[in-house]
Amino acid sequence: MIAALVLGPILAGFVAFALPRSAEVQARFFGAVVSFLAFAVAAISYGAPDEAHVWLQRPFTASFHVALNGPGFWLVLLLTLSTGCALMAARVPRPRDFVAQMLLLLGAMTGLFVARDLLLFALFWDLMLIPVFLTLIAWSAAKTSTTAWRYLIYNLAGGLALLLATAAYGIAQGSTDVIGVPAATLAPMSPVWALWIFAGFGFAFLIKTPVWPLHTWMPDTYADLPAPMAAVVGAVQSKAGLYGFIVIGVALLPAPMHLATPLMFALGLISLVYGALSALVQDDAKRVVAYSSLSHLGLIVLGIFSFDPIALGGAVVYMIAHGLFSAGLFLTLGEVESREDTRSISRLGGLGARNPRLAGGLTIVSLAALGLPGLCGFAGEILILTGVYRAGYVWQTIVALVPIVLAAAYLLRVFQGIMQGPEVADVPQREDMTPLEIAALAPLVVAIVLLGVDPGPVAAARAASSLTAAAAHVALK
Amino acid sequence: MTPQLVIPYTGADWAAIVPTFVVGVAALAVLIADLVLPRPLRPTAALELGIAGLAGAGVLALQGWHHPFAAFGGGFVNGGFAIAFEEIVVTGGIFSLLMAQTLGRDDQAGGGVALVLWSATGAMLMAGAANLLTIFLGLELLSLALYCLCGLGSRPGARESALKYLILSSTATALMLYGMALLFGATGSVSLSAFAGPHASSALFDIGCGMFLIGICFKLSLVPFHVWTPDVYEGAPLPVTAFMSVVTKAGTLAVLARFAYAALPPAGAQSILAPVWILAAISMIAGNVAALAQSDIKRLLAYSGIAQVGYIVAALAGTSAQGLRYAIFYLGAYTFMNLGAFAVVALLSRERDEGSHLSSFAGLGYRQPILAGAMTFFLLSLAGLPPTAGFTGKILILASAVNAGYAWLAGLLILGTAISAYAYFKIVRTMYARTTGAEIQRRFVPASFVPWVGVAVCAVATLVLGLYPIAPSDVLPLVK
Repeated sequence: MIAALVLGPILAGFVAFALPRSAEVQARFFGAVVSFLAFAVAAISYGAPDEAHVWLQRPFTASFHVALNGPGFWLVLLLTLSTGCALMAARVPRPRDFVAQMLLLLGAMTGLFVARDLLLFALFWDLMLIPVFLTLIAWSAAKTSTTAWRYLIYNLAGGLALLLATAAYGIAQGSTDVIGVPAATLAPMSPVWALWIFAGFGFAFLIKTPVWPLHTWMPDTYADLPAPMAAVVGAVQSKAGLYGFIVIGVALLPAPMHLATPLMFALGLISLVYGALSALVQDDAKRVVAYSSLSHLGLIVLGIFSFDPIALGGAVVYMIAHGLFSAGLFLTLGEVESREDTRSISRLGGLGARNPRLAGGLTIVSLAALGLPGLCGFAGEILILTGVYRAGYVWQTIVALVPIVLAAAYLLRVFQGIMQGPEVADVPQREDMTPLEIAALAPLVVAIVLLGVDPGPVAAARAASSLTAAAAHVALK
Repeated sequence: MTPQLVIPYTGADWAAIVPTFVVGVAALAVLIADLVLPRPLRPTAALELGIAGLAGAGVLALQGWHHPFAAFGGGFVNGGFAIAFEEIVVTGGIFSLLMAQTLGRDDQAGGGVALVLWSATGAMLMAGAANLLTIFLGLELLSLALYCLCGLGSRPGARESALKYLILSSTATALMLYGMALLFGATGSVSLSAFAGPHASSALFDIGCGMFLIGICFKLSLVPFHVWTPDVYEGAPLPVTAFMSVVTKAGTLAVLARFAYAALPPAGAQSILAPVWILAAISMIAGNVAALAQSDIKRLLAYSGIAQVGYIVAALAGTSAQGLRYAIFYLGAYTFMNLGAFAVVALLSRERDEGSHLSSFAGLGYRQPILAGAMTFFLLSLAGLPPTAGFTGKILILASAVNAGYAWLAGLLILGTAISAYAYFKIVRTMYARTTGAEIQRRFVPASFVPWVGVAVCAVATLVLGLYPIAPSDVLPLVK
């Protein structure tokens, strides 16, 4: 059943290619149905028995081992939900091919979050680059493919470092079938090996998240991708690195993780502040969201590297929360763009008067993003900040508070620039959100509220192994 | 008493070379068919006979897997190692013949196919060769046939290609032959198994090894002995290029592996071989960097092949048993992904145009989605991305290099792979971009549909080898 979650969307992606090109509505419908079906299957498969098949026996054992539990479960739910919502109202050229790429991406990323073998993890890590690269090439409006190249080269460099680290881990440990295995049952590794292996993994995770100064591929990628894929990549693919830090870093390589804490705190804080300041001055609304991502994900890095159980729980909550509201932001901004043919805040204005439903949608996701209590963003932020403070990082907590204030400033700036003020004469005023677009946004809004009201189940979802490792560290202190 | 003619070889000796022999005889059958059959039937008959001969040899070779045997007094060692390489040679030969519609003019078909078969015979001899004479015999058979093959057809670059290959390759062969003479002088034997003795530390032996290895590196086209490769690949007919890119490498790698693993005395082996690992490292980087700038697929694959050989040789570093298995696995994987890519190019071929220029791929993703998808898949494999044999092969090589204490080679391999991604994805981009600016050829009328078979089989093999990697297990011992 879990393997079907991975293979099903991939097969469906190839099936989509067999649909006639003219079947645009049917293709979108097909894609959305597959995604929501995957959501339903994932939701009822929590904690289903692991599925494993042998892959390699020498030089180390590796297997096609998948399981659905811990943070990966919530990320799969987020992924399938946001893909379904994004596909429902997708307005892109050549929708059939686009739906196929989205489904391939869905399968590859589901694989990443259910993989319980490092080599399988590495396989999906590289695999999920390809649909995004092809989409950047074939759907980008730009004359050159600079964005696609930058995306590919950065992420592939990370992916290859991860691959080398995986091989080294396999040689050192004899097996890569270790994700979710209690750390106590693993043979101890020499500190030097562990450090090098962590360096490889960490490099890949930092690029993917991304974290300053490895983020330069990210704003262009988010801006150039069609809104539905930007929603999925921005919401879920950016969590792959953080997920890796939790299930591989904290759980399997705790010693080098602790060693890297000062560096990671520095990078996280710089990302937090730099992302927020950059978001304040962007004119392209999608770039505001991209830089806000940099800022928010920097906060999650702090949460993870504080090793405080509360902060780690908060990190998982905020990963899901950020996925929900950034998917919502990309989708609503995509709807603005598909109506007005521009994302420029300075060119737009006064849309709210004639598009009240669109303005309402953007309001809700913006409020979630800026951390309004009761919505999901707040739940994650408060847990992380509490945990980081509790772990003894006082001034870091204070610095981390500043960008949260700035978030209100840049998100309200986007909202005001687009929805409020006098109507701009030279942009077309097209119809308000259609029922289908409302239906596409509604599940995300419901999830935003639910997670904001009760983040408990998500916060408790950390893998048991990472919990024990972190708890052991707290006890040592 | 009348002197009796004594043939000191038994039936078992001959049995060991039956597969090789079958391929050589198939070539004669092709030539005879070319004489007796009516003209219109000749090209097809030549291809069919050639493929049948190779396939038969492949099946026969497998029979010897569990019966390792040193034939001809140790001159030819049959066993898992030789058979693995023979199968790769046979596979490479078959897939090259599948795209042989563009081999040359119609009246050259019979001769061309016969030469391909003889060249394969040479490579199969090299796969089992365990003394210097057999090695040289195989190498010359392989090369002499290739010199002629490169000059087939009326393409403008063909003559240049053939002559360049002849002159440079002969120089390397001469160097290698001189090395062999020195080795014989140092050890008093031409048998590889005799090299591990105490005399092996002499300067004569070291110089002999060096010259021998230079010849090998030339045939493998490791940097800096690679300068001939792009020009020869570009000028030769497409099927010949495809054949060379796999079969020459397979034969020569077999010799290198046997020499490195079985001939050299264990004590001095690593210091003698160290330069080879360094050249492999340089090839991984330089080959991929040079591939970046190419706009002709054959040249691009030539440079990429230089890097890929670097990866394979890197697997041998440290001469561990598992490294040898993974080198063979990667070579097998490379056979499929590389010949698959060549088969796609063959499908794009037209009269007087081999379809190897990058522009013939423009918009292919919209004109021929399945073909473009297959090409993307092969390029993913060449770039070492999942879910392909290239990915699994690369992880095996990385693991083996790290395990053997050559972590720096693994690091450079990663660097080279990162560089190569741009070269391979440049083709992907050309196929899928909407705004390439290049002229798009609307009509897709392949000269022959036969290469589709190659595309399909190679794609399936690339996928299956990635998910179920089978590396041959009992490839040792190599000499006795």
